[in-house]
Amino acid sequence: MHVTHELELFPDNNVTQMLFKEVKNAAELRQSAVEGKLNAALINPTMLVNHFQVLVAANKAVHLQKSGKMKTKSLYSEIIFNLSPTNNISEAFKRFGISDGDDAVMLVLVHSKDESQLVSDLAARVDGQQVPVEDLSSLSDAAKIKKLYKITPQEEKCGTVLDAVVCRMATKDVM
Amino acid sequence: MADPEFFRGAQLLKQGAEARLYRARFLGKPTIVKERFPKCYRHPVLDEKLTHRRTVQEVRSILRCRRAGISAPVVYFVDYKSHCIFLEEIVGSSTVRDYISSTQSKSCKERELEHLAEHIGQILAKMHDEDVIHGDLTTSNMLLRCVLNVGESELILIDFGLSYISALPEDKGVDLYVLEKAFLSTHPNTEELFEKLLKSYAASSKRSSAVIKKLDEVRLRGRKRSMVG
Amino acid sequence: MDVSYLRQQSGVAAMTVIIGFEGSANKIGIGIIRDGEVLSNPRRTYITPPGQGFMPSDTARHHRAVILTVLKEALEEAGLKPADIDGVAYTKGPGMGAPLVTVALVARTVAQLWGKPLLGVNHCVGHIEMGRLITKANNPTVLYVSGGNTQVIAYSERRYRIFGETIDIAVGNCLDRFARVIKVKSKISNDPSPGYNIEQMAKKGTQYVELPYTVKGMDVSFSGILSYIEEAAHKMLSSDQCTAEDLCFSLQETVFSMLVEITERAMAHCGSQEVLIVGGVGCNLRLQEMMGVMCKERGAKLFATDERFCIDNGAMIAQAGWEMFRSGQVTKLEDSWITQRYRTDEVEVTWRD
Repeated sequence: MHVTHELELFPDNNVTQMLFKEVKNAAELRQSAVEGKLNAALINPTMLVNHFQVLVAANKAVHLQKSGKMKTKSLYSEIIFNLSPTNNISEAFKRFGISDGDDAVMLVLVHSKDESQLVSDLAARVDGQQVPVEDLSSLSDAAKIKKLYKITPQEEKCGTVLDAVVCRMATKDVM
Repeated sequence: MADPEFFRGAQLLKQGAEARLYRARFLGKPTIVKERFPKCYRHPVLDEKLTHRRTVQEVRSILRCRRAGISAPVVYFVDYKSHCIFLEEIVGSSTVRDYISSTQSKSCKERELEHLAEHIGQILAKMHDEDVIHGDLTTSNMLLRCVLNVGESELILIDFGLSYISALPEDKGVDLYVLEKAFLSTHPNTEELFEKLLKSYAASSKRSSAVIKKLDEVRLRGRKRSMVG
Repeated sequence: MDVSYLRQQSGVAAMTVIIGFEGSANKIGIGIIRDGEVLSNPRRTYITPPGQGFMPSDTARHHRAVILTVLKEALEEAGLKPADIDGVAYTKGPGMGAPLVTVALVARTVAQLWGKPLLGVNHCVGHIEMGRLITKANNPTVLYVSGGNTQVIAYSERRYRIFGETIDIAVGNCLDRFARVIKVKSKISNDPSPGYNIEQMAKKGTQYVELPYTVKGMDVSFSGILSYIEEAAHKMLSSDQCTAEDLCFSLQETVFSMLVEITERAMAHCGSQEVLIVGGVGCNLRLQEMMGVMCKERGAKLFATDERFCIDNGAMIAQAGWEMFRSGQVTKLEDSWITQRYRTDEVEVTWRD
């Protein structure tokens, strides 16, 4: 169900993504995350094109954490911030974090190799139905994504929406 | 900092004048890593400034081009400390330079070359209309990728390290001048082909007349320079 | 037709002696070459007061005044009589009109007096061939840097092709004008050249001042640096934020970095593993040092010469003339004019494969 990817640049860091539908305790999860009692990034899946988008955000977050250049307080908030096309932090949380009434959530955690227990523990805290990460495509809101990232029809001629999204995420600090 | 192991596992493709190009898998995708290494011949302050500026310019111009529908590799990640840019690998592509060199000798392919030249002219006109000055236009910095079921090749611009944003016809004219010289010195006897490229450029851009005028001026400057000593 | 030329054509091994006349700028030089050996190479330089450049008519007057003395020296030092000479080479261009005319006139006269063929040489090709002779570089990427020229050249298909060059002023011109505009207590001297004195002052500079750095593809631009020096840098100088020595140092670091960069770009482009620096600015040791570091990093080899051959001289014209002569390229009397503009890539290089 979940997808785990090792970050090639930081070999002891794995990124695991878990997707849930019919979530009933979004408010509780969000509260725990805010209080630092839940070590994961909680992302609104309607804003995700593909799990690669999350990987790009996570890789950048780990990189900035290691070089002491994060813009936010924690690795997980940094992942959410990195997803955003702008440098406005509260805007990033509003768009890419989850809201109390949400019924779908992408849970992202960064861990070392031998922490698979952590993954299942976290999954157990979500009151909802875990679905394959590939199901993102049915949850994501293409129109909203294109609007937020300001993707024009002409840009889609030379690449996918994912390309457009990732390119903005990777370059936003110098725009 | 990125794990040095990463580069050991990567395949060094090319050592250019200011960057090494590696092929590697990054976040599961085939990726080209462009690493701008320090140039020891220049003053460290100058070196750091140039390297940083070029890394920034490169990713900025790529995004600007892509937004306008001009193909350029997707940027996956930028490390401003080690001056590495992680870019989409344009799989199954060849440089325009190789294409022209291998096609030039075949007379039956003349029409194809003309078509390519016209296509390049259109793309560059579009780029200049977006005020992107490439700064290093050569036939090595243009890739061709076959697009299946369309039958036409896609032209991809790369290597934006010397690029910048400018609306001045002078800058655009010099951009074309740089290409003209690189084109004609790399591919002898292609004056007519390059004329086709320029014609197509002129026809495709709304603001081309001022640019072509500047190009003529810059050319003349080269020939008229007194060259004393 | 000259007898030695016939000997050459019939395949009889014989030494070829060429005399070369150079006077395209403020140096007048006459050199004699015998099959790769420099027999003599005397030279005079027209030096102007500090803060002044050299004007064409004054320079021509200088050359006229000394050319016969220099010719006598060249022959005496070589121990040759006019009869021993096989051909008379002269600079056809590029350069300043009046000095070029003066020197060509003398070359034409002696060629007719002595009954020898004329060889009209491209000045830039002269530099390249002299550099190749002295350093034994085989097929180098050439950086040609002088008061009037800034070019990166590589040989291909019978031409010295220009891969990169300045799009405004030459690097030597930039140095000369810098020496004129910089407001220091005593102006930078033109003796032996402004560039040499900037080089000496730069050694005492410590602070790096950022100056405009303009590389466009394999081309460079220097005009922005001059206007920057005239404005911003002068303010720094007058408010003691930096010294004149710092500016000399920063100027060299900046312009030479640009030159090394375009040379390296051309090498990468052509797949070349040799660099040859020629032209007056080429004897700057800091430029040579920086180029050497670049070459070492690429596993390439650097070839450079000292002021005897870097700076304009007669032997370089003789050497290019020698190559032309040996490949059967001679200049008819009616074609022995001069031209102020003569691009390096206009010459058909008949002596190389």
